Amino acid sequence: MDDLLQEFIAETRETLEALSGEIVGWEADPRDRARLDAIFRFVHTIKGSCGFLDLPRLARLSHGAEDALAAVRAGDRVPDPALVTAILAIIDRIGEIVEALDSGEALDDSGDALLVAALDGTRGEAAGRVVPERMVDLSANPTRAAHKRSVRLSVDLLDRMMSGVSDMVLARNQLARHLRMFDDPRLEAMLERLSISVDGLRDTVTRTRMQRVESLFSALPRLVRDAAGTLGKSVTLTIEGGDVELDREMIELLRDPLVHLVRNAVDHGIEERADRILAGKPAAGSLRVVARQAGNLIIIEIIDDGRGIDTDRLLAKALGQQPARAAELAGLDDEGRLGLIFEPGLSSRDEVTALSGRGVGMDVVKANVEQAGGRIALSNRRGKGLSVALEVPLTLAILNAVLIEAAGTRFAVARQSVDELVAVDGNAVRVDRVAGGAVVLLRGKRLPMVSLPVLLGQGEPARDPRFLAIVSLREGRFALAVDGVHDTQELVVKPAAPAVMRASIYAGQMLPDDGQPILLLDCSGIAARAALTFEKANEEVVETATTEAIRALLFDDIDGARRMIVSDAVDRIEGVAPGTVRALAGGLWLTIDDRSIPVWAGRGAVPGEVRKVLRLQLDGQEMAYPIADPIEIVPLPDEIAPGADPDGVIAGLAVIDGEPIELIDPLALLHTASATTERPMCLLHGSESGWMEAFLKPAIEQAGYRVVRTAPPGASVAIALAIEDDADSAPVPALRLSRQRGAPLYRYDRNALIAALKERRA
Amino acid sequence: MSQSLHLVARVGGAGLLFDAGRVDSVVEVGHTVPAPGAGRAVVGLAAMRSRVATVLDVSELFGRPAMVRDGKGGSAVATIVDGHLYAIAVDLLEDVATFSLSAAPSGLGAANDWDFVTGIADGAGETLLAVDIDRLVARASALD
Repeated sequence: MDDLLQEFIAETRETLEALSGEIVGWEADPRDRARLDAIFRFVHTIKGSCGFLDLPRLARLSHGAEDALAAVRAGDRVPDPALVTAILAIIDRIGEIVEALDSGEALDDSGDALLVAALDGTRGEAAGRVVPERMVDLSANPTRAAHKRSVRLSVDLLDRMMSGVSDMVLARNQLARHLRMFDDPRLEAMLERLSISVDGLRDTVTRTRMQRVESLFSALPRLVRDAAGTLGKSVTLTIEGGDVELDREMIELLRDPLVHLVRNAVDHGIEERADRILAGKPAAGSLRVVARQAGNLIIIEIIDDGRGIDTDRLLAKALGQQPARAAELAGLDDEGRLGLIFEPGLSSRDEVTALSGRGVGMDVVKANVEQAGGRIALSNRRGKGLSVALEVPLTLAILNAVLIEAAGTRFAVARQSVDELVAVDGNAVRVDRVAGGAVVLLRGKRLPMVSLPVLLGQGEPARDPRFLAIVSLREGRFALAVDGVHDTQELVVKPAAPAVMRASIYAGQMLPDDGQPILLLDCSGIAARAALTFEKANEEVVETATTEAIRALLFDDIDGARRMIVSDAVDRIEGVAPGTVRALAGGLWLTIDDRSIPVWAGRGAVPGEVRKVLRLQLDGQEMAYPIADPIEIVPLPDEIAPGADPDGVIAGLAVIDGEPIELIDPLALLHTASATTERPMCLLHGSESGWMEAFLKPAIEQAGYRVVRTAPPGASVAIALAIEDDADSAPVPALRLSRQRGAPLYRYDRNALIAALKERRA
Repeated sequence: MSQSLHLVARVGGAGLLFDAGRVDSVVEVGHTVPAPGAGRAVVGLAAMRSRVATVLDVSELFGRPAMVRDGKGGSAVATIVDGHLYAIAVDLLEDVATFSLSAAPSGLGAANDWDFVTGIADGAGETLLAVDIDRLVARASALD
């Protein structure tokens, strides 16, 4: 937030400076529309930023001025001298507050209300009184602490600085090569010094372009909080990787798309609390925003655990809007259907909400990201969440590049994406030709091979490659066959011209020391061009094919036996902090998030020893099942032998890996839990209710009742308890306690009381 | 019509006029590095001091055969379009002079394929074509 505030201060100060001429001009001629508009835009911008940065004082002032100026613009008010003076006083005050903000000083706010009041034409003379006050303030200015100095520079100037430094690095390298021919230690020492300062300069200049992605994320907590608040949802936001650095310009380009995606996630992705509980998810939605660097890309992921995108609905909507495309739409696979979300005018949701539904859709987000030279990828798990990955290039980054040769030309590959370089001569690696392609067998692992010369249209497919670069991508690994391997160099990557980028296998261009340009290869583009499919993609196919099967969680129970439970019944596996499981009210209770959840004690769980629980949640009922360790998720076998379990919580026996395993019946568990959670109410009635609460409450609770002294309206009281000689009649049949020792229900006879209560319950 | 300074260059026999204000420099391109897979008009990449220029052959746009690509380079007109540095390869650089342009013949200008020709001027015994550099580069980039 500090960065944002600094930016706001710098921007306001700058605009104020630029505006001062306009203000004077407007004072001279209040009817000057252009100047009026400029001033209006200024206060309007301030107002907008203030709400965001939580600066209520500035918001009040700018709001007042904006209202008055809007009236002038609309022709409802005449800009008389009183109004002009009042507006100018407010703009001056805004300037003072901004300076005070910067120096961290408090500024007396007593005059603010007067300034705003002065805008109201009826109190025009008030403005006159305010002006001298302002003069006093200004005179105090010189004593203020000096603020942190900053200068705003145009990106163009930074670009020129960067290219100047690149020139210098090039010249330094050429010089170094030539000087190596002379064997002069003094010359070498001088060159070394020059070299160090050039490197230092290059780092500094590079840093001026870079900014931590944090400055992009700092506004998100507030955004999520407000968005969730408006919609009555609860969302937990996790931010990771704020220290990743990105080009300043890129950060600006990503700001709007990110805000839009985060809003979308809160608004459309994460469900209402009730829907989430029904779907067996934690009531609070989880939203993760993660930044990381992968090779020459920065990846920002927005991951929610909401409902995902309903692709069927999307398809139906596209069909409804464009019936002419029916044939094309019908042929789409799931990924193609998901891609429809990027088409203008399509959204998976029908209703317009206060937040997102304003006509700005995913098509705009995609366009913005692509404008930044990036890509947007969706990973949709229907009903489980959506993950949006923004991949943007590090345009002006210095990249550690491996230089390789193919088809007689040098190319570069980002060092981070190359796992290793292998020469194909020994026995370490074997190239096998398979139908239409080749695979590489390296240390027992098979990798698909792509021949770079063939891909570039200049190699013979049948020839065995000389070198292999093992490239690792997010999607998987493959071997890139090349003709030669040069060295590794640190180079500045610059975007290549569109005509070159069209090849879709390049990520940018670079210029090494020798002055011969090199194209940087985009390995994922190459994989896509070669139509590689990775193992992981296969796994995903397998996963979708088996989603029909019921799956079960295998775990070690606290009595040492291995058991399993249908995984859909398990909301999550939770570690338990010591002291949160306690024996209370005749059962075990786990306290978590300010609530108590009954703990299944059937296996003799000891409160202090419970370390992990399975949290079960079905239809709004909850319970915790203590376990020793979760093992894995397995498909539930079709054959389950019915069990005869005295506890009634074992549904049957299934065989997993040759071992018979007991299957827990979640319904039976929750049934026993509901018996303890739904406690009937016991009303302590009459004049002795205070005594009864003090002495009898533990006994009554042990008998399975909840104790109240006055019945809440509308609640049904199961039983009342009163002293026998108390005259008042209770609303329900009462158990009457005797004051006489030896009487059937003597008031100090705990066992008799519990027995009587239990009898009533039964 | 309007008087302005233009650079006269020859591409595949056609005389072209480049607006001098848009020409960054006139360069001798040395060795070019090929960019396989790029658009057909891309000859390759060449270094111009610390910058990398994309060398374009635009002769096809004027209905002329493509230039000989022996990697040895030749003269080019350097220009910046959308922040990218391009070197438009030419056979010959002739002159820098002030020309008064007249509108392109309607038959030519209306055809969308020739929208990069913005006007014509009289040269020594021939008609010179004034080109819009932005459109020329965009057209050349779109060739595949």
